[in-house]
Order: sequence, then structure tokens, then C-alpha cells
Amino acid sequence: MSDVKQPIKLPKKARGSRPYFFDDPAIDKVLAMLMGLIGEVSVMADRVDTLERLLAEKGTLKLAQIEGYRPNSAVSDARDSRRDMMLANVMRIILQNEEDPDNGEPNDPEYMSVVKEAEQT
Amino acid sequence: MRCVGRRGDSDGAANLSSDRGSEFGQAIAAQLGAFGLDRIKWECEMTTAVDTMDTTSQYRHDLLVEMNDDEQSRQEFVRSLKLFLAHKVSLGNKKVYEERVRPQLQKQGRSESIPEINRLMKKQEYYQFWSSLQRCSQEMMWNSIQIPVERQLDQLIGKAKKAAENPRGSLALDPDLAIPKWQTRVDIHCMPGGYHTELCEDDVAAGAVYDRAVYIYAMGRMGPYNDDIGASAAKWLKERFPDFKPKRILDEGCTVGHSTLAWAEYYPGVEIHAIDVGAPVLRYAHARAEALGVKVHFHQMNAAELKFADGYFDVVSGSILMHETGTKVAPLVLSEAHRVLASGGVMLQAETPPYKDLKPYDAFMLDWDTRNNNEPFWHASHDIDAVKACVKAGFSEKKVFEVLAPSAFESKMSQRYTHVFQSGDFGGGGQWYVYGAWK
Repeated sequence: MSDVKQPIKLPKKARGSRPYFFDDPAIDKVLAMLMGLIGEVSVMADRVDTLERLLAEKGTLKLAQIEGYRPNSAVSDARDSRRDMMLANVMRIILQNEEDPDNGEPNDPEYMSVVKEAEQT
Repeated sequence: MRCVGRRGDSDGAANLSSDRGSEFGQAIAAQLGAFGLDRIKWECEMTTAVDTMDTTSQYRHDLLVEMNDDEQSRQEFVRSLKLFLAHKVSLGNKKVYEERVRPQLQKQGRSESIPEINRLMKKQEYYQFWSSLQRCSQEMMWNSIQIPVERQLDQLIGKAKKAAENPRGSLALDPDLAIPKWQTRVDIHCMPGGYHTELCEDDVAAGAVYDRAVYIYAMGRMGPYNDDIGASAAKWLKERFPDFKPKRILDEGCTVGHSTLAWAEYYPGVEIHAIDVGAPVLRYAHARAEALGVKVHFHQMNAAELKFADGYFDVVSGSILMHETGTKVAPLVLSEAHRVLASGGVMLQAETPPYKDLKPYDAFMLDWDTRNNNEPFWHASHDIDAVKACVKAGFSEKKVFEVLAPSAFESKMSQRYTHVFQSGDFGGGGQWYVYGAWK
């Protein structure tokens, strides 16, 4: 018997069958991984930001300073804006639907009609 | 107007102006006559006091989980993602609906009902992307908050015990209380383990997760104390009925007491009771209230089977409780509220607006949560006819009301509001739908 107390693990999956939205659930899963990746990149970007600000302020660096850093309102606003731009970059492919008469769906006949027009004029 | 510093049950901060108050009979008639989502817009008097508080972060009370730099950033990312989905992505669904789905429905001679809209929308790739991202953001939110809670659970339990030493209020748990089956089969709003799962002795994990999650979920729009639903209902009641002086208030489905404490703030000195079915959230709620210096009596109790005597309360309030009940249980919750109310008392149930008051597309979008965010009673609860339900519970039809209470916390945060009631945009409407009745 070990008297080392095992840490409590919180359940990770919510009870209830999970909905999937694409015909192939793998697309939902890959998208979830992509979002997880963006999230972690965002975490790293914030950390770099913290480091840069602390270095600039103090000229030296201690780990406790990073962990204790809390952005003020102005810094929070700047970070919000950067995340917003990052999300726009990643979701570009669906956001551009706003300008797309085809709503992001294939429309080869429309394109080929232009080719035809170019070829014939 | 609002309490801006550390709370206390004696600080008397709820100093609301009452110049718009009126006789309650007239006011009820006015409410019933004026009800309509587009029409009711009461001026919200925000004071300079709100401007001096930090509105951009959650108030750090003693129980709130600590985040290191990465953990904080991970949660901030989820908040940004949710805001982005609500502001920039969700709106594209409307274009898809108007340009593709509605014309198809019209062509097919189909009605613009939720099932008909859903039948065609779910085939639209854009909607599939939004839905998939929306569900994902919810799962990422819980994960981002579980990480620090899991890391600190021992300390949080210790802090909760310490905060509850020499309490002003009380905590009465009932280990024999049966957890309703709709709470055990599906974890409501995808929170793993729900409100009730006990992971260890004196567990507070569910409360610690929920307290932080509400802030991220509502993107901070429920205020530094996450109390905007209760605060808006209490503020509305106090301003409209300045002569109404309750002695005892019951808050139902209180979870960690966010809205409960708002009632204590707007009605200082009033005896406050709060109930929930989940022990881990109640332990946390008790400790949090004590840490914030607010006297509340918490009980583990089901709102459909109250243990209180007839006529014990002057106010019975629920903040987003009803949609987490069920078709058979909801009427019991209302009739129990009627039973424990004293003559002249009032029941208030705050929710998102019923579908009857929304356009078909908006109702469809709000309904997303039923299947996709583990809210099994969401749809049926939004079809509840407030008047019929309250009358069935024993209230007089003439004393039933439906109002839109303006958000108590929409000040300089206004840029964060979309002013739409839509899925994944909780608190974005800037107002809360409240129904209820006087006894």
C-alpha cells in the first residue's frame, strides 16, 4: 500500500452523447484539434508578451514574476485585439462567405463559364 | 447605485433610486400591456460608481481558483473565441438562412418552424462549421478551467473550510436527497460531472469550476460577481415597487450563489435563503458568501419539493433555473413557490425569452442548445406559457407578469453586447426575460 495520495482527476467528458455536425465526424474532431492548437498558440503568444513586458520593465527575469503577472485593462484590450485578428486569420475560409456569392460551396460551372468567355472573346 | 467595493451585509450599498416606481397594480397592467421584445426599453441609470470598478475582470474573492500565466491565457483565449463566434461567425448563419434556407422552405411550402429550419440548416456547411466550433468552444472552456481546479483542489477544499469557520450564514446538506435523473443522465451545458458529482470528501470542485466558467461563458458580461441575472431582477423589483419590503427571500437553483448575493445586495438586512440539489456547489457557495461577507442560509433541497412552511417567504426567485428542470417538474417548482410565498409576496423566474416572442430564425438559433449544449429541457421550457403556468400553480391571472429587465451591468461594457438572444452568446442581449406573479 502506498500512502502517497493520488491526485483527484476531474471527469473530462460530459455525460450525454456528443453531437457531430459534419457528415464525417472526423471533420469535427480535426476541427477540435485545430482549435486546441490555436488555443495553445495563443497561450504561448500571451506568455511571450508577458516575458517581453517584464523584461522591458525590469531588465531582469524571475519565474515568479511571470506567474504573478496580471495584465491591466489596456494590456487586456491589446491582447483581445490580437486574438481577434488571429481568429480572423484562422477562420478566413468561412468568414469570406460574407463576400462570396457561392457561400463557400463549389461552383465549377460558374468558373468554367468565365474560362469559356475568356477563350471565346 | 451598485455596490462597488467589497460586499458586506451591512454596507447598505443598494441605494436605488425609486423615482420610476409606481403602484404595483398599475405597473403590472402597464407591463402586461407593454410586453414586447422590441418595445420595452427602460433607461438604465448607471452611476459613476460603476465606472470606478474594474469591469474587465472577475472579482478575486478568497475562493476563486488561482491561475498561473498560461492558465489565465488559456481561459482568455476561450473568452475571445466565444466572443468572436458570437460577433463575427454566428451572423453568417443568418445570410445562409435568408439566401438559401428560407427560399427553399417557401418553395417547398414549408413553415418557418424550428424543426423545418433545422432540417435544412444542418445540411449547410457554414452552419456545420459554426456549430462544430461552438460546441468545441464550450468543451475548451470547461477544460481550461478544470486544469487549475484539478491542480489546486486540496487547497480549495482547505480554503472553503477556513472561510466557513465562524459563519454568518449556514449550510445544511441533505445526503439523502435524490439527484433528479435529468441531472444524472446528461451533464447540463456540457460541464463534466454536473453540479452534483462528489469526487472526494468535502468536494468543492464543481463550484470552483462553475464560478470561473460563468465568467468566461458570459464573456464577463454578467459583471465581476457574475450576478447580473439576479441583480437585474432585484433591481427591477426594487425600482418598480419601492414600497415592497420583503422580510425573507428564497433563491432557487442557486449553484454557487452568484444571483443569491445580488438579492442580498439590493435588499440589505433581509433574511436570504438559497437552495440547490448539488452538494459540491453548495459547499463552495457557502464559503464564497462567507468570504464576501454576505449572510446566506444555504440548503441542499429540490425546488419541486421544498421543506419550508407555507407562506414563509416574501420573494421566491430563480435565475435560469426553470430550463434545467422538466415538463413534469416545472409545474411543481411553480406551485411550491406559490405555497411557500406569503400573501403579497412575489415569485420571479429569469430566463432567456420564450420562443413566442422571437422571430423564427432567432428562435431556431437560440434553440441550438437543446441538442448541442446538453440542455434537454431548453426547448420545452422556452415554450412555457408564463400566464398559464403561473395560473396552474395557483396564482391569479391578473397578478402574473412578463417583463424584460434591463441588465444591471450594461455600462461601459456595451461594446461587448451583441443585443441578440442567440446560442453561445449568453448575456449578450443586455436584458433578461423575467416572468412571475404576485400572490
